[in-house]
Amino acid sequence: MTRRNMSTAWLVVVLVCLAALSANAQSFRVQCPTSTITHPSLNNNAEPAYTGPTTLALNANQFYAPTANVNGAIKCQQVSGGDGYSTMANGVQTFMFSFGPLSGLADIANGQPGTEFPSVFNTVAPQILLPGDPATTDGIAANTWPTSWGGFPLSTAGFTWNGAVGLEPDIANLVSIYDISQGTSGNAVYVQLNAPLGLTTGASVIISGTGGAPPAGYDGTWTVTAANFVFPTAGIPGVTNYAFTPNFNFTFTIPTATGLPDILESQTATAATPPVLDGHVDPRQIMDIGVMNGNIPAPLVAFDEDDEMFLTLTNVGMIMRPDLFEQHTIHFHGYPNASSVYDGVPDASVAINIGGSFTYYYLAPDAGTYFWHCHITPPEHLQMGMVGQLYVRPRQNRVPITKTLYQGLVEQQLDLRTACNPSADILCSATLPAGGDNGQKGGFVCTNALCTGSGTVTKMFTYNDGDGSTAYDVEYPLQIHGFDPNFHFVGMTFNPEMFVDMKDKFFLLNGRSYPDTVTPGPMATQSSDGRVHYGQPMPAIINIPAGGRALLRIADLDVSEYQTLASLGVPMKEVGFNAKLLRDQEGNNQAFYTNSITLGGGESLDVLLDASDAGCGSTGCAATLYPAGSTFYLYTPNLDHLSNDQENFGGLMTEVHICASVTGGNTYGNTCN
Amino acid sequence: MRATKMTKSILIAPLFLAPLFLAAVAHAAVPGITGPTFNLTAQTAFLNQPDGSSVYAWGYGCNGNPTGTAPAALTVTCPSMQVPGPTMIVTEGQTVTVNLLNGLPAAAGNTSILFPGFVVTASGGVQGLLTQEAAPAGTVTYTFVANSPGTHAYYSGTQGDLQVDMGLYGAVVVLPATIPAACSAGLPTTAPGNNAAAKTAWGESDFRLAAAAFDNPKSCYDREYLFQWSEMDANIHKTALAQVTALNGCTAGAPGCSLNVPTEPYHPAYFLINGRSMPDLMDANFAAEYPHQPYNGNPHMHPGEMTLVRTIGQGRWQHPFHEHANHVRILARDGNMQLAPDGTDLAGLLMFNTDTTPGESFDGIFYFTGRGLNWDPYGHHPGDTSDPLGSLSCTADANGYNTGAPTAVNYYEWCQDHNKPLEVAPNGDVAAGGPATLPNPNIFTNGAWYGGTPYLGPDATLRGGGTQACASTTGSTAANQASTCSDLQPSNIQANPASERGWAYMWHSHNEREITTNNVFPGGMLMMMLVDTREFVIDESQ
Repeated sequence: MTRRNMSTAWLVVVLVCLAALSANAQSFRVQCPTSTITHPSLNNNAEPAYTGPTTLALNANQFYAPTANVNGAIKCQQVSGGDGYSTMANGVQTFMFSFGPLSGLADIANGQPGTEFPSVFNTVAPQILLPGDPATTDGIAANTWPTSWGGFPLSTAGFTWNGAVGLEPDIANLVSIYDISQGTSGNAVYVQLNAPLGLTTGASVIISGTGGAPPAGYDGTWTVTAANFVFPTAGIPGVTNYAFTPNFNFTFTIPTATGLPDILESQTATAATPPVLDGHVDPRQIMDIGVMNGNIPAPLVAFDEDDEMFLTLTNVGMIMRPDLFEQHTIHFHGYPNASSVYDGVPDASVAINIGGSFTYYYLAPDAGTYFWHCHITPPEHLQMGMVGQLYVRPRQNRVPITKTLYQGLVEQQLDLRTACNPSADILCSATLPAGGDNGQKGGFVCTNALCTGSGTVTKMFTYNDGDGSTAYDVEYPLQIHGFDPNFHFVGMTFNPEMFVDMKDKFFLLNGRSYPDTVTPGPMATQSSDGRVHYGQPMPAIINIPAGGRALLRIADLDVSEYQTLASLGVPMKEVGFNAKLLRDQEGNNQAFYTNSITLGGGESLDVLLDASDAGCGSTGCAATLYPAGSTFYLYTPNLDHLSNDQENFGGLMTEVHICASVTGGNTYGNTCN
Repeated sequence: MRATKMTKSILIAPLFLAPLFLAAVAHAAVPGITGPTFNLTAQTAFLNQPDGSSVYAWGYGCNGNPTGTAPAALTVTCPSMQVPGPTMIVTEGQTVTVNLLNGLPAAAGNTSILFPGFVVTASGGVQGLLTQEAAPAGTVTYTFVANSPGTHAYYSGTQGDLQVDMGLYGAVVVLPATIPAACSAGLPTTAPGNNAAAKTAWGESDFRLAAAAFDNPKSCYDREYLFQWSEMDANIHKTALAQVTALNGCTAGAPGCSLNVPTEPYHPAYFLINGRSMPDLMDANFAAEYPHQPYNGNPHMHPGEMTLVRTIGQGRWQHPFHEHANHVRILARDGNMQLAPDGTDLAGLLMFNTDTTPGESFDGIFYFTGRGLNWDPYGHHPGDTSDPLGSLSCTADANGYNTGAPTAVNYYEWCQDHNKPLEVAPNGDVAAGGPATLPNPNIFTNGAWYGGTPYLGPDATLRGGGTQACASTTGSTAANQASTCSDLQPSNIQANPASERGWAYMWHSHNEREITTNNVFPGGMLMMMLVDTREFVIDESQ
């Protein structure tokens, strides 16, 4: 693959821009609470089994809160909005306006969702991250970078951290000490501050700057024994009462020392509350990782029904376009009954300026294949690359192995939020199947007797079908997109952009054209910051175990024309459309077999690439038509789209591999055996 | 105009100024003319575009006064050529007669109308390829029985590549012969839905053409809009004008008295809904600025209202019509209901992107309730007895909605989230304890339709700490009111004024290139849909 060094002129631009973004002009922040009203437990770091609808009751604040059977968990993700580079299949380096990962870096580099539980998201980076990470660090660890330019690491084994970039413990409050004294009797230490610290009895307090740990000084972390009190009028032996108001005073005990010397009006002594992870971030780390780190597709977002999702967008600015003070937003495309404030349309809500963060909050909508994109000047920002995939897994995945899928769906009818009653709501599709209970069992295996903690999903479904008709073995998000190289060049070079003449020349599956679509692992591009970035982390290799079904979650974000994707060989079974199960209101499945699908920009659907015996008659066909070791193709019959600009080869195409077995996960990054 | 009527509970002095700001705010139902006999003239005129250009076009106008107009609450006119042509509203079973007079320049040659989906008898005129045609200054008559309810297209059947692009297209709306009984008493599908009673309680006129789209109780609706999607290549129009001008006065049918306008390569720069583009699209119906583009696109609705979206693809391209905020249930395509095997249940697709296809129409139902947000859109504050609107109750019906009191501001609220806070910290008069934090507003750029807070409706916006006109009876304390007294939104643009503060959603083509006008964004196929609380009276009289 061709790679080019950017001219030094651009590096100058980079430096000027970095200097202009001083730290105190930023409002970066992440949000990932460990518990909420909806998920009151302190541990929301696993998906519990779906054993029935959540029990809700009116609480003292007059709203409904769960009292039992809490379903779902909390998920968090952080993305950057900025710019970056990708490499097209003909070797051309292409400038993008783009989102990049600021959490789940290792998962994203593996082509997987960067959506994490709080226990993962709220972890501080184990080391200082370098610009370009994880590509940079991974390469160093594998000792192949930068000496071996052709040897891009294909795995991220050396980089496993998935926390939020920039996250650092915040010191909530720090106050200088006016006087600290242990007096002449006992172990109690009396502190009089220069300002209130907000301490309460039993709280931890950190004393520093007093000359060291006892007996040299008072430094250490101590437990407050009393706070917010008035000094006794009779006085405490050896302690001077400086008559501060009560909330300036507190005491603690140092059991191992007595009679430590009084320190008065020290220039260094401070008392502080302990550092906590509260969403505070170090902007330098955000800028180091986020700048010039855009991805195509934008970081993959995936979560489960009943989850609360906290998706933070951090706008790091666009180095290559310092003339633009470009805002960004996140539009969760297809979210039913969306609020306008979290809908991401700048005209109807707010847009996030450079230097700011905004956390979008969603309760997971109905299961389905959605997608997300920036909604600022959409014809520009979408064409330039700000498009990502997003899907919501169904509750049905969590139905225990002891119950039938139908029983699980009946239970969903008991909560009005999760119910689909066709006589009351014509905008839902997961109605009870007309065929009734066919005995198909759930596949959630609990790891403990109560079946409330984490478990293992052994059967995966696209929707809450109640009959298993959307079951699959492996799943692959596929994003259809197109890049117009002229527009991208103009977009990099300060010229007015022409929309009428927009004409895509690169036709992309997951941000790549064939043959890059079948290159395993992340693809890296050296960007104008001189660093290598994983600009295209997601391949499009479809590995299917022989006789199995692969769910393709297909979303088209093309901004200029309709595109068709066809399957040469393995039939497609379309089971969902626009994030809804294909089922009529009487409960009849409307899924159908086809060999091609056509989508316009802003549309999604779900197809099962069906390499099973279904529909093959009595003789079966998996073993003969789709045997292990065979390769099939997904390609576009828009034949002019089978090209990479001037190369009359490539384009919107990828390979389907039938495998004796698939190991290492059920999506990208797995291995075909 | 009279777009707003304030309710007593928020009679706010400064708001009486609001109509001054609201000149551009007007909503639209499906205005049209009734028959069953329609007299149309194909004529020329110039269409106004948002980039300031004036584009030569052909369209249909009324030949004399129409028999009648609909809906009754609207003033509908069709004095001259318009694009799209007059919407012809008929009732299922009627025998429809359309008399077409060809008023186009002689050089334009013959013209005609096709009514796809109907069995048409043509009389008079001259024989054309697809139907009988009207020669220049001549007439032709089409007759058909409107046997299929729903939304249908009509368009020129003569040299369609030129004449349709020039603007010769329109819609036929066929109303069902029998309105299902269930539709005339609220909405049985959202029992005990009572949107009609709410409409009456708030003094809102009924702008529907009918209570149902089809002879099917699952096609009831509360509100309706018609969107006709097309593109326009101005080069075709310029060339046509040049040739028509050069051939002015030629004799129809004489050698050389004809146009030779290339319609390929097709290179449209105008992307139109109802003949207009954003922002003109959202101006009033029959606005004086657009004498030949009378129909707008400015949908409004209240939570829980079943909104019928009538859509026709009138251009030659497909357009992915993306409805923000919810899915659309397709009822019918080209007037053919899509039903389950039982013959009554709906079986049309649920789509958040409803493709518009050339020559094809669809009827779909959209509605918004806010179900499942997991926070209270109204920012209710149950403990605040000084603010009666903040401490409203929510009594769930069988489906979870507050439909017991049609007079309530929070009619159709989703009760499971009632009183549930959004924000971690208290904001204005809304309680704390929620999951999310909305950071410092100074790091945001506020949109023209942003109400200033996450909340829905005038009083909720005030409660949520937004800036708004001063209220005499809302807000918790005088001090709070003083600090929030302002006529202005954060954006200082009154697209979503203090009396409204709806939730706005973009309805647009998701081939995003098409939300531009002649290379300029924003423009093209783009409009804002607003969900308004019941306090805001949606007036579609313009």
